[in-house]
Amino acid sequence: MPAAETRLIFDVPNGRLVFQPGALDAWAEHLAWCYELMGVKRGATIAVQDFGGSPLSFLGSALLMPGLVRGVAERLGGRFIGLDASAERVTLTPAVLEQIPVDVLVVRADVAALLAAEIRHKGRSGTGKPPARTVIAFNDEDPPPMRGSGAPWRYLLHVPSSMLMAPQCGTCGYFHLRAGVYRLDGVQVSNLGYQGAPSWRLPQSWTRTPEGCALGLDDSTISPAAWTQAVEQG
Amino acid sequence: MRENSQTPERPDEIERWPRARLESWHLERLAEVVAHARANVPFYSARWLQAGFGEGQIESLRDFERIPIVSKQDLIKARESWANSADGPVGFSTRGTSGEPLVLWLDAAEEEIYIRPTMRGFRWAGFRPAMTALLMSPVWHRLAACEAHAVVRLGGNCAFFWGSLGADNMDSFVRTLFSVRPEFVTTTAPFLLAMVRRGAQGGLDLAEAFRSVESVVAVGLPLTPRMREFLAERLGVGDVFERAGTQEGAALDDCRLHAMPHVHEDVCYLEVVDANGAPVAPGRRGRLVVTKLAPAGSVFVRYDTGDIAAFAVDPCKCGCGFRRLKIYGRPESSVMVGERMITAYDVRIGVERDSALLGRNVLLIRDRSAASGVLTVAIEGERSDGAEGVEERLCAELGVERVKILWLGGLRINWGFRQVIDGREIGISNG
Ligand SMILES: [Zn+2]
Repeated sequence: MPAAETRLIFDVPNGRLVFQPGALDAWAEHLAWCYELMGVKRGATIAVQDFGGSPLSFLGSALLMPGLVRGVAERLGGRFIGLDASAERVTLTPAVLEQIPVDVLVVRADVAALLAAEIRHKGRSGTGKPPARTVIAFNDEDPPPMRGSGAPWRYLLHVPSSMLMAPQCGTCGYFHLRAGVYRLDGVQVSNLGYQGAPSWRLPQSWTRTPEGCALGLDDSTISPAAWTQAVEQG
Repeated sequence: MRENSQTPERPDEIERWPRARLESWHLERLAEVVAHARANVPFYSARWLQAGFGEGQIESLRDFERIPIVSKQDLIKARESWANSADGPVGFSTRGTSGEPLVLWLDAAEEEIYIRPTMRGFRWAGFRPAMTALLMSPVWHRLAACEAHAVVRLGGNCAFFWGSLGADNMDSFVRTLFSVRPEFVTTTAPFLLAMVRRGAQGGLDLAEAFRSVESVVAVGLPLTPRMREFLAERLGVGDVFERAGTQEGAALDDCRLHAMPHVHEDVCYLEVVDANGAPVAPGRRGRLVVTKLAPAGSVFVRYDTGDIAAFAVDPCKCGCGFRRLKIYGRPESSVMVGERMITAYDVRIGVERDSALLGRNVLLIRDRSAASGVLTVAIEGERSDGAEGVEERLCAELGVERVKILWLGGLRINWGFRQVIDGREIGISNG
């Protein structure tokens, strides 16, 4: 076990995350919860097209981080593959999808269009497997999520500097702020699990949604305005 | 996970073993890996049966050399009969410089085995407890995944910058250098060169950025001796170490003597073979063939990495008994000039003898004139005073009929890891 004073430092946009190795498991547990709320099944193979310093990447498995006892892959009984979000790596993703049965493909919003074009261009043939379900990981600097045809399977609101991970629920279609992890006061979301994380302000176009969701009765749910269309089930 | 009885009790005792003892230990490990592959990986059992190695036992290294060599294409084609969900929870994708990427899997037992040589390499490079290491992303490479574990086990801290290893992420890397002030850095050689270039253009105070850094470990490009010294001097760091390896299991590190990277022979068994698969003598170049000594994760037995490599002739004076090997490049980082394969590394050695050209990017041009014995080399920046000398020297050293140097001036190219480009890409007619 790593020494208690060991630090793992991650510079992220507009901030820095510092963990002692023992603190990572709580966040891997939360990220696994996010996946389950989105509807990801146990045993899934999850591919993440994000930078290596993103919590979505480094919480992927215990093998990636010292002190992380069980990462997302171990918690979901599945597999994880990190694909990096550089333009060079995005061009390789169609070939990776050809080789392995990826169930869920998580993509940073800023490379999602590039990746979609690559997949369209190179196709995905011959595997006989259903295409991966796409989750777009976005933050408040990205354009708001789109609904309707062409929309991804799910969205994941992810603001690394605030250690905010709020998944789009597979049941209610809204974004859950998990009770006990985040607290919503007015338009401010504070992080109860990471001391010192700056609180996150709900963008103006977002609202708190009134009704609770059976998948998390104590959670606050939020969504962009006029977010009415039902979520694709399953 | 296999017990420690099969690995040396003390971390680095194995480095001092007499060669014969190491060889018999290798033989045991190879037999174990072959048995594991035969029992668990249908691709190998079928392939070996077909090649008449169906029930073959490994009683000598000669026996082992009868096993057919496999290529990346073989493994990609084999899909699930080579790699399956039992191989481990974390996948890595190779960079695909030679066409398609290969996806391979890492499991906990295998990682445990590979953390030890990573710690050894970092110790060689001067890592000490309480240091902070600025590392590459663990998802980026199977060997990088072991690095954070190694640092923490050596009593250090890890830092990661935001972004990837393209030159467009340099600002982010530099910000973390300034704010974390690491003593130890691992990154890619092309990334370091891009920083040196930025420094030379006045866009970055390199000495200030690397003020706290004692050691830099560079991966991703075979360093020439002069390039290594040049980087250490320009970055103003204590020392620069070459770390080499492949996702498929080869792992090598420079010792303090920098005489050529040592193979971590406790985790991988490397061979250098000729075009027919026969072993070549130390000092001679051939194709690098890798066998991972861990019966875990994705299994690589006699895998042709596509790299061009050679073993050192003599043992290293540092006292470590592990053989040394240099990886010079790959067919994609080489050009056939007439009958000779010229690697970008060889050309850089020749170019860098002119001190004014140290640190400049050098690209080999693949065009039709190569077939008739003309080597075309593009060098970043303006023509140097000793240009004719460089052409003559390259002719003589590389044994080619003619060398043509193109001075790229201010032409901007996304260099990255590329060492060879098609002439048409920089507007050279293909003739
Ligand atoms: Zn040595």
